[in-house]
Amino acid sequence: MNEKINIELRSFRFILEKNKSYIFPIIVIVASVLLFFQFVIPQFNLLLKTQAEVKDLRSKTEMLKENLSIVSIIDDDTLNSQYKTMISALPLSKDFIGILNSINATAQKAGVSLGSFSFKIGNLSSSENGDIFPVVKFTIPVNAGITGSNSFIQMISKTFPLAQVDSILVNNNSSIISLGFYYKLLNIASVSQYIRVSPVSQNGLELIGQMKEFEAASSFPISSVPIVNASASATQ
Amino acid sequence: MSTDINLLLRTNEESLKRKKRIKILNFAAIASLICIGLVSLIIFILIQTANPTAIKKEQEDVLGKISQFQDRQSKLFILNNRIENINKILKTRKDLSKTMNELLAKMPSNLSINNFEINNASIIIAGQSKSLYTIAEFINNLTDMVYRKEIIKSLTLNSLVLDAGSKTYQVSVKSDL
Repeated sequence: MNEKINIELRSFRFILEKNKSYIFPIIVIVASVLLFFQFVIPQFNLLLKTQAEVKDLRSKTEMLKENLSIVSIIDDDTLNSQYKTMISALPLSKDFIGILNSINATAQKAGVSLGSFSFKIGNLSSSENGDIFPVVKFTIPVNAGITGSNSFIQMISKTFPLAQVDSILVNNNSSIISLGFYYKLLNIASVSQYIRVSPVSQNGLELIGQMKEFEAASSFPISSVPIVNASASATQ
Repeated sequence: MSTDINLLLRTNEESLKRKKRIKILNFAAIASLICIGLVSLIIFILIQTANPTAIKKEQEDVLGKISQFQDRQSKLFILNNRIENINKILKTRKDLSKTMNELLAKMPSNLSINNFEINNASIIIAGQSKSLYTIAEFINNLTDMVYRKEIIKSLTLNSLVLDAGSKTYQVSVKSDL
């Protein structure tokens, strides 16, 4: 038995001795391959990650620089005035004072009188962020015929907050007008330092101009608003 | 017995082949080691040159400057958001007053409107007149509007009655918008 082992050992030594010159380069090649997988590939991945991070940082920095150059030259008074106008046109929440003001100012300008009306406030804490525009719905009885009602809806579509007339029912000298006042919530979390801002476009400026005209048409001192028989009902 | 076998030559050939193989193997080993070393060195240098620290610092500087205008930035963002949304509203909202005006323009002057109902989908008009010609003119005008695809898509005559007491013709029509 021991003799057999000795023979095998001798054979192994013989083979080793004969191929000694191959062993070292093969070990080096295997080590290189191992190094490639263990070291070079992770390092390469790290390089790609770093380059992506640098690219991201660079684009963000460029964006911030552009934002800085835009906001640093804006006139505060102009911006505040434009902001106020557009927020009144499409409020960030249900603007009941604005709505009541608009209804009464329109009725006065159209020369019609209003009956008792009610509206649904809805859930005040709801956060609607869909693409559709939420509205506060009103059904208003107007003591006027077709001409007075037409005048009323023409005017209310050019006042603040923006409204859409859904239906009109005229019966001799009284009418019932259903309309909704738009508002649009804004996710405040989306307003961060890293958002891209752009100056107001020419179309935007034209729209602001149009809204300024609407604003002038809907101006109505709140202190002189006649008390209307309005009742509000909260749901949910 | 063969005496011309050259054993020495064969041994030399094999030895040469072996030496060549070893030479190639040694060369491959050294080349792979150098390649790995070079690639590692290049990657290391590239990582060092792509160091984001400088850009981070620059970004912090810009952020520091922009924080003074945070209020303006937010207002400008909201302003642009409102412009975009108001544009959408103005493009999509239905103008019932325009529809009403165009329909009223087609009403004969002798026709008095008793009932007028309009919504986003349909319109119902009920009126009366002492003259049947006025009623006919009214229906013809609306029929023309349907043919010309102006505002209304269809026209249905709901009723046409003669009120013998007041001697007036009463008409009611319905149209889809």
